Amino acid sequence: MRVQFFPTCLVDTFFPETGEAVLKLLRHFGVDVRYPKGQTCCGKPSDSGGYSYETKKAAEHFLAVFGGDPDPIVIPSGSCASMVKNHYPHLFKDNHRLRETANAVAGRVYELSQFLVHELKADLAGLKAQGIITYHASCQLTRELGVREEPLALLHSLNGAQFVPLATAERCCGFGGMFMTKLPEVSMALANDKLDAILATGADTVVGCDHGCLMNIDDAIRRRGASVRTKHLGVILAEGL
Amino acid sequence: MIQDAVVDLFIENATKAGAHVVRVTNVEELNSSLAGMLDRVNSVYSPGLTETERTLDIPAECRTDDYKDAAACVEEVHGAIAETGSLICSSRGGRAVQAGLLPRRHIAIVSAENIFADLDRFLGDLGDSPPTNVTLETGPSRTADIELTLTIGVHGPEHLGIIVL
Amino acid sequence: MGARSESIPFRENAAQAVRNAALRAAMRNATGTFSVKRSHAIASVPIEEWRELASQVRLHVLDNLEEYVNRFERNAVKAGATVHRAKDAAAAREIVWCLLKDHGARKVVKSKSMITEEIHLNDYLERQGITVVETDLGEYIIQIAREHPSHIIVPAIHKSRRQVGNLFAEKLGCERSEDPVVLAKIARAKLREEFLSADAGISGANFAVAGSGSLVLFTNEGNGRMCTTLPELHVAVLSIEKVIPSLADLPKFIRLLPRSATGQILSAYVSIISGTRKAGEATGARHLHIVLLDNGRSDIVSGDSREMLKCIRCGACLNACPVYQTVGGHAYGSTYPGPMGIVLTVLLEGMERAHTLLDGTTLCGACGDVCPVKVPLPRLLRRLREQRVEIGFTAAAERLGMVGFGRVARSPAFFELAQKLARLAWKPARITGIGSTLDRMPMPATTPFRKRIS
Repeated sequence: MRVQFFPTCLVDTFFPETGEAVLKLLRHFGVDVRYPKGQTCCGKPSDSGGYSYETKKAAEHFLAVFGGDPDPIVIPSGSCASMVKNHYPHLFKDNHRLRETANAVAGRVYELSQFLVHELKADLAGLKAQGIITYHASCQLTRELGVREEPLALLHSLNGAQFVPLATAERCCGFGGMFMTKLPEVSMALANDKLDAILATGADTVVGCDHGCLMNIDDAIRRRGASVRTKHLGVILAEGL
Repeated sequence: MIQDAVVDLFIENATKAGAHVVRVTNVEELNSSLAGMLDRVNSVYSPGLTETERTLDIPAECRTDDYKDAAACVEEVHGAIAETGSLICSSRGGRAVQAGLLPRRHIAIVSAENIFADLDRFLGDLGDSPPTNVTLETGPSRTADIELTLTIGVHGPEHLGIIVL
Repeated sequence: MGARSESIPFRENAAQAVRNAALRAAMRNATGTFSVKRSHAIASVPIEEWRELASQVRLHVLDNLEEYVNRFERNAVKAGATVHRAKDAAAAREIVWCLLKDHGARKVVKSKSMITEEIHLNDYLERQGITVVETDLGEYIIQIAREHPSHIIVPAIHKSRRQVGNLFAEKLGCERSEDPVVLAKIARAKLREEFLSADAGISGANFAVAGSGSLVLFTNEGNGRMCTTLPELHVAVLSIEKVIPSLADLPKFIRLLPRSATGQILSAYVSIISGTRKAGEATGARHLHIVLLDNGRSDIVSGDSREMLKCIRCGACLNACPVYQTVGGHAYGSTYPGPMGIVLTVLLEGMERAHTLLDGTTLCGACGDVCPVKVPLPRLLRRLREQRVEIGFTAAAERLGMVGFGRVARSPAFFELAQKLARLAWKPARITGIGSTLDRMPMPATTPFRKRIS
């Protein structure tokens, strides 16, 4: 099986190790991973800011890079996957040619956990992990993509680790892209609420599918000097191979 | 739903909403239940508009014609809705719907055959010329405006008694 | 109210609210309790089916709004009411004042109504010498504290029992208590006198039924029933989009509104008021005047945010919103707070005044999930952000940054350059404080992923 990989600009720039972990993970399951050159950003930051001209430019570029290849596109981020899957077709609703491409590409997009569970049955692979794990369900992943069970199935399948549910798993962590800079006090308060909930579980690791959220939670952890760690789903799975 | 099940559902839901519900089968039982509910209540408003209301055994010295100052209002209501446990209070027939609201106790008598299974069966047939006032009354008056602490009887009755006949 | 052109200082308000520990605790308790109760109330019912049905009815009304409003007017008149049309807030206030004057009314009791908040009716009437008494316990607390509601369902949600106890002792001269039951009893006694001595009652309406000309009011305390049945004169003020086609449609909304608002199966009282007291009747106001307020609705319904008018004001989106939960209602500086409040305030008061509110969402989507009539709040919020950019109400630095982003996002070469520059500039930017939020992000990696893949 061949896929195209879009690690996202956040992973590319700040968390390249996560990109490498996902690569290792996919290859372990026999996937032929192609990294289309020239990729940049999906346009999510300008989209949530309301800058539709810039968003369209970013989206056009994404479609040019990924649109020519019929292979599935794997994205280790709920918000970026939803951007391409749900927002692109809407973005080009008045442009016949690009709308066709956007629809076609949208149909090929998988968020990482979706691909792992539905295409690779990675939840049946008996991967290993250690410690006590909890899970933060990011907003676009759950509410826009409807991906709720897949990450949980993967985490529950980890041998050697204990999974503890997070009481407010689906509550926003306060990242929100530019929200973080627009209302920093509220953003930090929400991240602190999230951290309180995480600490109440007794977990040593909180797993998520979006580095935006994890970065925001990391900041709250750092400020508080808490010992819990954040980990992207792709990383914790790759460690258990 | 057969009517017995409708009545049971009404009793269940009205009780959940905070009403005190009893079921009686004849006028004697009705009056003895009523006497229990009116224990030590000395000013009762009951309009005497229906046959049932006229058979109520309320001592003359306890009666009042002014619902504004009454301690209790005893009346037969138009009907009830099982789905929500609500009483249907209607202004039809010259009834003062607000009389059940002002006293601290509202005791409503409802005939089992006037209990509708759900909201649609009542409102769906109400048509385009309803009575001036139709009020669905579900449990006693309540508020949670202070720290969401449930408080019963803020403006309307603290006690809602229902006798299913 | 004159035109207020300065924008709402939402960020400053929000920052201040975050530091208010008592407010945070009250908001957490209230929104948390409501959210849990709502989940329980919808757990065993076909909620998705109900939402879809209710949404379709509301959309159908919006598609034929003028026709339904006219039909409502005709039937309300037939039932004995007098109907007035008000183009804007000033016209509505004027109509209400003239009605009170004509009837010689000096004191009015009011049942909680967001529309009268929207048109700032109380202040206006008080300036004309009318005594206005709010009778919903929460509104009463707010009124004697001289504040504004912080939640559309529970207006005094931000106040603790201690604060209410102090307020009552100070303003009503009663003995101090912190027991909500005792405080409610004090209000009951005080307000009962007001009900029986008032010359008029003013209410809003949760729904207006076109087919029968009826007003529908939901209350828990019974104050709505008293305001509309005890005084001789009843004035109802409502906005035109409250119309539903017929009484047969009402069950759909009876099932959704209380469940979404407070998690109740049904509010204690649902009153269906159809016109005035007729011959041989013992219930109903002698005079019923209905003020139908437009205040921008006709424009909104023909624009691309029209679905906002489906809203039935249940407050579920407030309770579900993480930002509202954190800052409370007053931070929004508007009549309507929370996600629905942001959208409605921008639509009603304009971008210039309300654009700052558009920052008040993480676009997490929780509001859209809980809306009983499927108002697509996340989509409306995003669309209004686009309009904000189109009209030019974002900061110059942000616009410049976004132009740069657009350039970088469509050119791999620029993208790589930007990655390098970001890494170089990171430390200086942090130290100088230019990028104040940069210290919440890690430093860019030495070697980005694109350089690691062979």
